[in-house]
Amino acid sequence: MSAGPYNYSYIFKYIIIGDMGVGKSCLLHQFTEKKFMADCPHTIGVEFGTRIIEVSGQKIKLQIWDTAGQERFRAVTRSYYRGAAGALMVYDITRRSTYNHLSSWLTDTRNLTNPSTVIFLIGNKCDLEGQRDVTYEEASKFAEENGLMFVEASAKTGDNVEEAFLETAKKIYQSIQDGRLDLNAAESGVQHKPSQPGRNPLSNDQQANKDNCAC
Amino acid sequence: MESNKDKEKEHVLSKRLNKIIQARIENDEETINAFKQLSTFYTENSLQARRNLRSQIEKRSLSINKQILSSFLEVKNSFDCIYNDIADMSKSIQDMESRLQNTKTQTKQLLQQTSILQNERDKNVKQQKIVNALLEKYQLSPDYFSILQGGKEQLITPEIFSVIDRVQEIHNDCKVLMQSGLQTLALDIMEQMTLYQEAALERLYRWTQNHCRNIDNTDLTDLITQAMLRLQERPVLFNYVIDEYCICRRSKITDDFINALTRGGPSGNPAPIEMRAHDSQIYITDMLVWLNKATAAEKQNLCTLLKLCTKNDLNETIANSLAVICEGVCQPLKMRVEKIISVPSQASVLYSIVNLLRYYKKCICKIVNRGLIQETLQQLQDNSEKAFLTTLQTQVDSKLVRVEAPPRDLSPTSAVTNLLAVLRDILSTANMSEGRETDMVKIAQTVMVPLLRAVNEQAARLPPTDMAVYMLNCMYEMYTCLSLYEFMDERLERLEAQSDAQIDTLTSEQASSLVANLNLGPIYTILQDQSHGALSEVPGMEPSNLRNFLEKMDYLASHPDGALLQQIHLLTSSKHKKSVQKRSFDVLLAIYKQLYQAVLDPVNKYENPHVIFHKTPDELEKIFS
Repeated sequence: MSAGPYNYSYIFKYIIIGDMGVGKSCLLHQFTEKKFMADCPHTIGVEFGTRIIEVSGQKIKLQIWDTAGQERFRAVTRSYYRGAAGALMVYDITRRSTYNHLSSWLTDTRNLTNPSTVIFLIGNKCDLEGQRDVTYEEASKFAEENGLMFVEASAKTGDNVEEAFLETAKKIYQSIQDGRLDLNAAESGVQHKPSQPGRNPLSNDQQANKDNCAC
Repeated sequence: MESNKDKEKEHVLSKRLNKIIQARIENDEETINAFKQLSTFYTENSLQARRNLRSQIEKRSLSINKQILSSFLEVKNSFDCIYNDIADMSKSIQDMESRLQNTKTQTKQLLQQTSILQNERDKNVKQQKIVNALLEKYQLSPDYFSILQGGKEQLITPEIFSVIDRVQEIHNDCKVLMQSGLQTLALDIMEQMTLYQEAALERLYRWTQNHCRNIDNTDLTDLITQAMLRLQERPVLFNYVIDEYCICRRSKITDDFINALTRGGPSGNPAPIEMRAHDSQIYITDMLVWLNKATAAEKQNLCTLLKLCTKNDLNETIANSLAVICEGVCQPLKMRVEKIISVPSQASVLYSIVNLLRYYKKCICKIVNRGLIQETLQQLQDNSEKAFLTTLQTQVDSKLVRVEAPPRDLSPTSAVTNLLAVLRDILSTANMSEGRETDMVKIAQTVMVPLLRAVNEQAARLPPTDMAVYMLNCMYEMYTCLSLYEFMDERLERLEAQSDAQIDTLTSEQASSLVANLNLGPIYTILQDQSHGALSEVPGMEPSNLRNFLEKMDYLASHPDGALLQQIHLLTSSKHKKSVQKRSFDVLLAIYKQLYQAVLDPVNKYENPHVIFHKTPDELEKIFS
């Protein structure tokens, strides 16, 4: 879908979720622009960012949906879970309430994504060690119990931001290699791009996924 | 004595007589002569005579002697006279001789002097020749010199250049002098020539400085260009002239610009540019066109001025000078353009101004690529771009300031279609402008980001199905608009991905609704559950119940549109609609297939399973597609 100069083999769809103000947009901005955005306005609906990365010598285009944390956009943002191969679930280590809501985010994610979606837990703002409200051990335990990958990162300093996105991609790529991820399923959040991606029509011939009926 | 004489005479006579007797007289001439003589006075032979003979002879001899004596006296006197004369002569000769001697000594000195003088003269003549040659070769002729000095009017004539050449030539020739060992002379001449040269160049410099502004006067062009060629040897003077030239031209072009703006051409033709200040595009175009022409003319003038010069950095000089010349017009131009930009106007108008500025900046900067003019144009371009984007932003914001509720038919609100029309309008212009990629991306960004936010805001207030349909309709509209232009791939990709997400939502809603309508929920749950025994025995899976479901399915197959959610019909894009329909029916088909296989499976103990199903899944699929 891009006539850009890059050839890439796959598109991975990510979503970033989490409470309002945990720094989702800043994480995305740090990852795509390698810059910290100081006065980041509230996201309305969804924002979008892309970057091409390389995993095991394969060029992969990350198509990242940054969702609004505000409750009133929940209906809009829910639409984007379905196509996600990776979900970055973010909380703010200086605000316990954002951590406490993780289980509801996780439930949403599990319900709306498919089982192979890689969920990565990110404790953001780890540069504000002095104001820490959630210990690393606690979050780490939560991640372990729920089978999530976990890292503490800082969108401000850029610490671990790259790692979080790349680790997720590696895991997804692993699933593809293992055959656990069905590339033909629209809901997989992964598209295979044979050599040069052309401009596809609006609705591509994605096959309906049977799991849809779970609702 | 007498007696001796007589005796002697007698003796002589006797001897003579003896001799006569003895000798043959006839042969003796002397004797003959004596006889002849004797015969003259001895006329008679008488005793007397004979006695007297002797005396007679003696007498005779005496008289003869006396005669001789007197004769000799006469002779002697004559001789004395002669002697005296000769003595006199000798004396005067001696005198003369001494005088001559004197003169001779005197003359010798004179001669010596003369010869010295003559030598000197020769030498001098030679030297004169040499000096003349030298002068001719190593000095300026008086004509040249007067040309060099110039008259009272200090006019410059073309001849001065040959003089300068001559001076230079002499200067160069001094090398020959140097080589021939005349260092001092050579150095002196060189110094002199250098002085001349300086003086000439100084004059040239003053003249050129005064006249360079008239480079477009064809009468002076040759002289000025020649002068510049000479002056380039003296960078300081050369630069002074260039500076002066720049200052003159700068004020001239500035005056001309102001005149063109306020007064127009002679007798108002062309009309003053400011007459049309109400139409900002024409106004700016006129100003920039004028400037473009003026800079081109200035460049040509400069090139004429320096056409003979051969300096290495000539282009650099021209570029720098042009920059200086154009400095004056910057302020008036800037003031006017900034005023236009600052007046609120349509974004599309501002965008044409941006493009005008860009185009003419490029044209003018091809001629003048530095300096204030370049900065000013760049600044104006930047400012106009900024003003354009700000105006566009304001325009977008003012349209979106109120969050309208989407209309009942879930079509994009008028604000959305309106803004998309504006976007299309500007993108169409941008599509033809230079550097259109950045522009178009920026413009699309300025319009699309707030627009998408607004649509999200609007949609967030709707129930899920309505939301998805409204968003799809808006995004379809946006996609249709953007897909007409280049460089929108990123945006389109995003819209497409967003649309896909909404289609997923709709599919899911539609599938749920179908499942609910067909009462398929319980059947599906039972099918998934593997723990029960034969299906026909499970409550809710009785053939009658299944038949009930299958009837509804048949009805659906004959009226597929009726089964769709009402909102699906509101989708603008038939492609979206088909996609949702197909994908939700696919879900249904999958369940049908599963059920079909289960019923046919003997394990589930259905009687006459083929009676229950009128259609195989394949047949149904054909109907749906």
